[in-house]
Amino acid sequence: MTAAAITGLGLTAMTFATAAPVEDLALAALRAAVADAGLRPADVDGLLVNSSQGIRPDRVGVALARHGGLGDLRLLEHMEIKGATAAAMVQRAALAVGAGLANVVVCVFADAPLGTGGRSGSSYAHSGGVDGVRGLERASGVLGSVPTFALLASRWLETRDGSPEDLCAVACTTRAWAVDNPDAVARAPLTPADYHASPFVATPLHVLDCARPVNGGGAVVVAAGDHTAATPHPPVYVRGMGQCHPERRRRAPGESWFGGDVCSAVDATLARAGRRRDELGTLQLYDPFSVITLCLLEDYGFCGRGEAGNLVRSGATAPGGRLPTNTGGGQLSAFYLQGMTPLAEGVTQVRGGGGGRQVAGASTAFVAGIGGRLDHHAFLVLDREAA
Amino acid sequence: MSTPGATDWLVVDDLAPSTGGTLAPLYAEAADGRLAMPFCTACAEPLELEQLACERCGAIGPVWRPVERAGVVHAVTTVHRREPSLLRVDEPYHILDVELCSGHRLIMTTEQPEPAAPRIGDPVRIGFRHVGGVAIPAAIVAPPAKEETT
Repeated sequence: MTAAAITGLGLTAMTFATAAPVEDLALAALRAAVADAGLRPADVDGLLVNSSQGIRPDRVGVALARHGGLGDLRLLEHMEIKGATAAAMVQRAALAVGAGLANVVVCVFADAPLGTGGRSGSSYAHSGGVDGVRGLERASGVLGSVPTFALLASRWLETRDGSPEDLCAVACTTRAWAVDNPDAVARAPLTPADYHASPFVATPLHVLDCARPVNGGGAVVVAAGDHTAATPHPPVYVRGMGQCHPERRRRAPGESWFGGDVCSAVDATLARAGRRRDELGTLQLYDPFSVITLCLLEDYGFCGRGEAGNLVRSGATAPGGRLPTNTGGGQLSAFYLQGMTPLAEGVTQVRGGGGGRQVAGASTAFVAGIGGRLDHHAFLVLDREAA
Repeated sequence: MSTPGATDWLVVDDLAPSTGGTLAPLYAEAADGRLAMPFCTACAEPLELEQLACERCGAIGPVWRPVERAGVVHAVTTVHRREPSLLRVDEPYHILDVELCSGHRLIMTTEQPEPAAPRIGDPVRIGFRHVGGVAIPAAIVAPPAKEETT
């Protein structure tokens, strides 16, 4: 297998404004990524697309290849493992270019959940339908995704002897990173007093515990061998990859939403990359809610059981800390573009292009996407050096 | 328990769930005041509501049967966000993940508006609300025990 690298990154503006059609956003991100890689659209011979399972009917599909003016392709797929898809697309692309199935593969995601007025809560509340478990839960007042994650958070705090201050620390720390990210939609410094003053959505989650949905798109170019030569940036090698879809039953006696053996899959991913946890320059975790950062720090083995709250409160994940996490402000403060959020920041940091938020010497990033209610995990180890 | 023709206290009738599909047995039993849950047809393992095959023995196909209408609160949240076109209430309401005595977990609200949320570990009984004429499991929260006086 030839070493695969991410050579292009393209992001549209992240906006609350009424969106262009989602396919337009995807095409803009695609074109930006290709240009960033120093390539032309005609150089692309592979396209992987991921659409939100969200709330608008116009979704990105494989028709983007035809509508977007691409030429003959040797790889074209729509992929769907919810929030884990962005990382999984890079895995698929890396394997394809490494095996010679394609030379230049673009992985693209776009979403436009915000309607007129730019408010997402109402849009999500009205989505979900009346069928199956979702229909039963909506009839019980579970509107949008926040109440479910609030249940998860309540359970997390109960089982970890946690405190609302743990959630507050995640929100404030993540915002501290966003201050120096020009792409972040929330950059004003956040104090604990600000956090506690923000209204509850569903206890224990305040507004500031929740991600910032935007209308936007993101794409990366994955290439191998000679096809990485055109990029003006340092190639970001896909040095390790892995997935985990734990069987976690929502019934007694186990926990419904966290725990289970996810850590061994992270161990295996790092082993394939030849990296240890203490060698990682940054962690880029999927953080739709503050509590998820805590869950993942623990489930991925970056701290012991019950230690995540203290870890964040100690400043370890903050600027200057020993475990820089979600260094662009994550989904909480930068923008919620599903798995593209941690992926884009991982690429940025490994390139050394983080500007005021750049972590010195961060040549390796661990990127993780999650799907569903922590049901699906996809991991990448991105590195300035090929394995 | 609310009556089938009554107006639900929490959500509008448009949120009445579809009573067909995988959960049809739940709604059919609920209409008669029983709480039915799925079990493995072969080994009787409790299954999730939309689970098609048993992970323990591999058998395909759940069998639904009535279970005790009781459990404990596994997780709880109080929802403050209002969606006026979908909700009938102005006040915060509670959502509970209830671990039933059968081992199943079921997310529900309370049968009636409650001023205070129960705590994790509190026992609840299961009654029913009616949304658009469809019976839906709902928690009956036990009143807090009176403090003994000496």
